[in-house]
Amino acid sequence: MSDDSKLSQRYRELPREEPPRALDDAILAASRRAVEARPAPLVVPTGRRRWYFPVAAAAVIVLAVAVVVHVEREQPDTEILAPSTTVLETPPAPAAQEPKVEEPKAEAPKRLRKQASPGFTPDPRADSAASAPAAPAPAAPPAAQAERNEAMGAVAGARESSRDERRSAQMARSSVAPSPEAELERIARLRAAGRHEEADKALAEFRKRYPDYRLSEETKAKVEKPQ
Amino acid sequence: MEAPDEELMLAYRDGDAGAFETLYARHRGALYRFVLRSLKDRAVAEELFQEAWIRVIEARGRYAPSATFTTWLYTIAHNLLVDHWRKKGLALVSLESDDVPVESANPVRQIEGRESLARLLRALEALPPVQREAFLLHEEAGLNVAEIAAATGSNEEAAKSRLRYAMAKLKAAVDE
Repeated sequence: MSDDSKLSQRYRELPREEPPRALDDAILAASRRAVEARPAPLVVPTGRRRWYFPVAAAAVIVLAVAVVVHVEREQPDTEILAPSTTVLETPPAPAAQEPKVEEPKAEAPKRLRKQASPGFTPDPRADSAASAPAAPAPAAPPAAQAERNEAMGAVAGARESSRDERRSAQMARSSVAPSPEAELERIARLRAAGRHEEADKALAEFRKRYPDYRLSEETKAKVEKPQ
Repeated sequence: MEAPDEELMLAYRDGDAGAFETLYARHRGALYRFVLRSLKDRAVAEELFQEAWIRVIEARGRYAPSATFTTWLYTIAHNLLVDHWRKKGLALVSLESDDVPVESANPVRQIEGRESLARLLRALEALPPVQREAFLLHEEAGLNVAEIAAATGSNEEAAKSRLRYAMAKLKAAVDE
């Protein structure tokens, strides 16, 4: 017998240790699970590289939360976009609240610009930074915010009554616009002051807005241009 | 006639769980002893043993029988050991069991045999890790020099030299 064979024989006389049964079971179970989950992956994380499973799970969770937060932030702006026409239709404030007649005219374009901007900058907080060059200066946030709040309030009212559109329009008018009577009074004052051109425009606007409003003879005498 | 390892591994790759069980039964003992006798800590040895098989399972999809299955399996185990040694430094083996079986009923020969095996264990423990690994791959896995070189990522000359030195030291210990 050669020395190598003798050494091998002696080595084989050492204890023939075997893996514990539990280890066998775990490995065989893993082999069966892997076959059930075919096809075999080409690149599989093993050993110390398994850390990236929890990292991937965490990334998915963070992404999901970010999407939810983003969607929640988007929703108020879509609500603003929808009712913008309501705000556009809002007539100028009553004369009692505005000492100068020119102010409503100046206000109207401002509102128009403000309505245009949300389409491009859905996030109200981004208004000041991302608004178009034609947008009003961001240096007047309180007034702008008040207008926005007013508009949103009107929108909310309109949305609640959306089942009955006519009724909804009336509610919106009553909550945002001055009453027809107040508007007529303002026109009458313009007429009395001799500002016929402005009175004509206001009356035309009134008829456009309230086509079915019947003017009494007395009112007609006050608001229409004398022949 | 038993199916060769490579055939079983290909069958497992294609979904035959029974093929893996046969393969595992063939190699479990030798691989376990190879890892156990290369390391100091039984718990770590069991962990690396399991990890080696898990890698086999997970790599089944890209398995191609370019080398023998045994060489591939022990290459995986070798890489795990190298990773372990890099982390811990080169640890000498410490075989835990001195409960060595003996063949003879003669008390004198029993003592001689026990002493001889104890010396063999101590000598194996005292071998440099690369020599011990070469010897264990030869004895436990049945690899030849070329296969030892392939499994350990070395050249044949180095593998042959390591194996020769290991066997010389172990023979000397047995013959003392």
